[in-house]
Amino acid sequence: MRAMSGGRPRIFRGRLSGEALLGAILLLIASIDVAWSTPRVPGSDAQVLAELPVGTRHESTPARELARSRLDIALPLAQFYVSRSRATGDLRYLGYAEAVLQPWVQRSPAPPAILVLQATILQSRHSFGAALDRLDLALQAQPDNAQAWLTRATVLRVQGRYTEAMASCGHLAGQADAAIIDLCRQSLAGLTGNLRAAYAAIAGLPQRELASEARAWRYSELGEMAERLGDDAAAEHWFTQGLQLAPEDFYMRAACADLLLRHGRAAETLQLLAGYESMEPMLLRIVLAHRLLGDSQGETGRALLSGAFEVEQQRGEAVHRREQARFLLDVEQQPAAALVAAQENWHVQREPDDALILLRTAQAAHRPDAAAPALLFVQQQGLEDVRLELYQRPAS
Amino acid sequence: MNTRTALVASLALLLSPAAWAHVASNGFLVVQVHGQQLSGSIELAVRDVELAIGIDANRDGKVTWGELHAGEPQLMRYVAQHLSIGTPNSSCPISFQSLQVNQRVDGNYAWLPFTAQCRGDVRQLNIRYSLMQDVDPSHRGLLTLVDGPISQTGVLGGADAAALYSVVAPSRGRAFFEYLQAGIWHIWSGVDHLLFLFSLLLPAVLLRKNARWEPVARARPAFLSILKVVTAFTLAHSITLSLAALDVVRLPSRLTESVIAASIVIAALNNIFPLVTESRARIAFAFGLLHGFGFASVLADMGLPHTARLISLLAFNLGIETGQLAVVLAVMPIAYALRTGVIYRRAIMPWGSALIAAVALVWLVQRAFLPTG
Repeated sequence: MRAMSGGRPRIFRGRLSGEALLGAILLLIASIDVAWSTPRVPGSDAQVLAELPVGTRHESTPARELARSRLDIALPLAQFYVSRSRATGDLRYLGYAEAVLQPWVQRSPAPPAILVLQATILQSRHSFGAALDRLDLALQAQPDNAQAWLTRATVLRVQGRYTEAMASCGHLAGQADAAIIDLCRQSLAGLTGNLRAAYAAIAGLPQRELASEARAWRYSELGEMAERLGDDAAAEHWFTQGLQLAPEDFYMRAACADLLLRHGRAAETLQLLAGYESMEPMLLRIVLAHRLLGDSQGETGRALLSGAFEVEQQRGEAVHRREQARFLLDVEQQPAAALVAAQENWHVQREPDDALILLRTAQAAHRPDAAAPALLFVQQQGLEDVRLELYQRPAS
Repeated sequence: MNTRTALVASLALLLSPAAWAHVASNGFLVVQVHGQQLSGSIELAVRDVELAIGIDANRDGKVTWGELHAGEPQLMRYVAQHLSIGTPNSSCPISFQSLQVNQRVDGNYAWLPFTAQCRGDVRQLNIRYSLMQDVDPSHRGLLTLVDGPISQTGVLGGADAAALYSVVAPSRGRAFFEYLQAGIWHIWSGVDHLLFLFSLLLPAVLLRKNARWEPVARARPAFLSILKVVTAFTLAHSITLSLAALDVVRLPSRLTESVIAASIVIAALNNIFPLVTESRARIAFAFGLLHGFGFASVLADMGLPHTARLISLLAFNLGIETGQLAVVLAVMPIAYALRTGVIYRRAIMPWGSALIAAVALVWLVQRAFLPTG
């Protein structure tokens, strides 16, 4: 061999470290196509495939069986699942809660408390119309169900139906704390042309006299109002206070992250959201922060989000359509596709952030006509939001 | 298999694997139609399997492979009760094969392959899916229904447990186009075939004289040399591809895949320690026969539509040749232009060949000696 090939074999006398490196790279390249591509039989019986979260063992079946016939078990069990879902962002828990409610929902008449809980689940899934139906059923049977009125006000508010939402708040009179009724009303007033007065009113509510849930709600409301007024320093103060009180309030955490991102404070955003990667809305903000930093660590999250949105789309769900629009616009840089998602989202929900993403995507896609529904809504309701003003001018 | 899924899964591995468990519950059903036969797989999250049938035998809140494996018969019974596939006239009884594990973005899944035998050619499929519905009504089955090169997706479960899908045989024109595309794509993604071809083509612009490589003087001999190699490779793999696709000859895929890897090693080493310098076309022909079996296994994965077998086979083959020709036309003029320089003979030839041989050697070891699946 050596004789035949003349001096050629010297190419193999390279430096050892170079060869080792080359070998390692080759092994890596060659192993890519086998490592993750196919199902496999694990090498060891002891390999752990899944760690089971609380309440997801098959063993809980007797409780679930019992819940079919006993309301006093069904209600707390479903409530437990809903609260686990809230605390962890794990959507499967909502399904478990639905399974517990199912036999009760099919009864006629269904117990009002079951209907209210079902409405809460439907609201979490952004099935707002169906949620309102259940609440109306519950209220027919039990016109003084404060929880039903409050949930109804929340759903209507998300849909941008402020007048009806205000009426729901009115039904709370005599059924709920005065402070809760104030929060319910003033938060709506702040969306319909009375932002400054409403902000002052909510800020003036005595924090100590509020129940703890209402306290977090107050902070969240104050933070968002301050942001819409353009007082970002105050907004940050409220969000920070609120998150100290209610660290599991994901809605507020996301809002706070958005505030930081708007100011380019990417590192602080990452700090705020560390440990929340498993929730799509949080992951989106983490990816955005990495983009601001100009590093490539967001790539992983980008791929995961893209896959998750795809599955959601295939399932025909629109829980995270607002996030999807933002993802398509700011991460994937596909303004046309982002606009479609923002428009679909606008049909479902009409919070200030929904108006914002519709205006942003319409502008990016050079489709000012597509922004018209949001602009009309803002004008009709008297919605004040400095973040929207930037996009309102060119159209008016 | 699916490179995109693989990529996402690999990315997930870099993160904490437990941190990604928060999507809604999905099952993945793949059904592939081959005439009267169906093949496919059903995948359920290990966590969902536990909730449905209870496999955490030692109740420590962790499901191990041993526990899942022990629950295999129970899982098969559960799936058989809650998933049925049939034509409008009759059911297609499912038989399961052994359980495996697949890693997805949100954790490990129990992966159960199956086959099903229908009576008569499948034109419509009735799928009833009620897995998980009693414990998690929001669970959905994401269906991929594959018929030859055409696949459709669907969502199963929820209020309507049963759904009807039409399996429309593609028109001849559509089939031709789809298989042509698949052939072109396979040459692009099938790196092993390209590496083999290039190992043989690298020296085509050179001449072996006195144990040294020298550039050819004119384009004509280089062109003829390339033409001979490409033609021999094409002829050989077309023969075996057709024989295998039409079920005349069959070879175990482990054998063909290993020999394909070995063929690359040999062809690449031949550039560094030349044994065969004049008649590389013969190597191309001899190993081309085996590469044909490799192409055939891709085609077998896709399946040939029963209505347009020959035309689809022809289209797939033409696609491979088109893709191959495009690569050769793009690369060989550059090789020809570079042939007189020292870089081509001293760097690209030996080091390129060494690199190819090394990669192929790793493949050879993996394919021949490591356990599959």
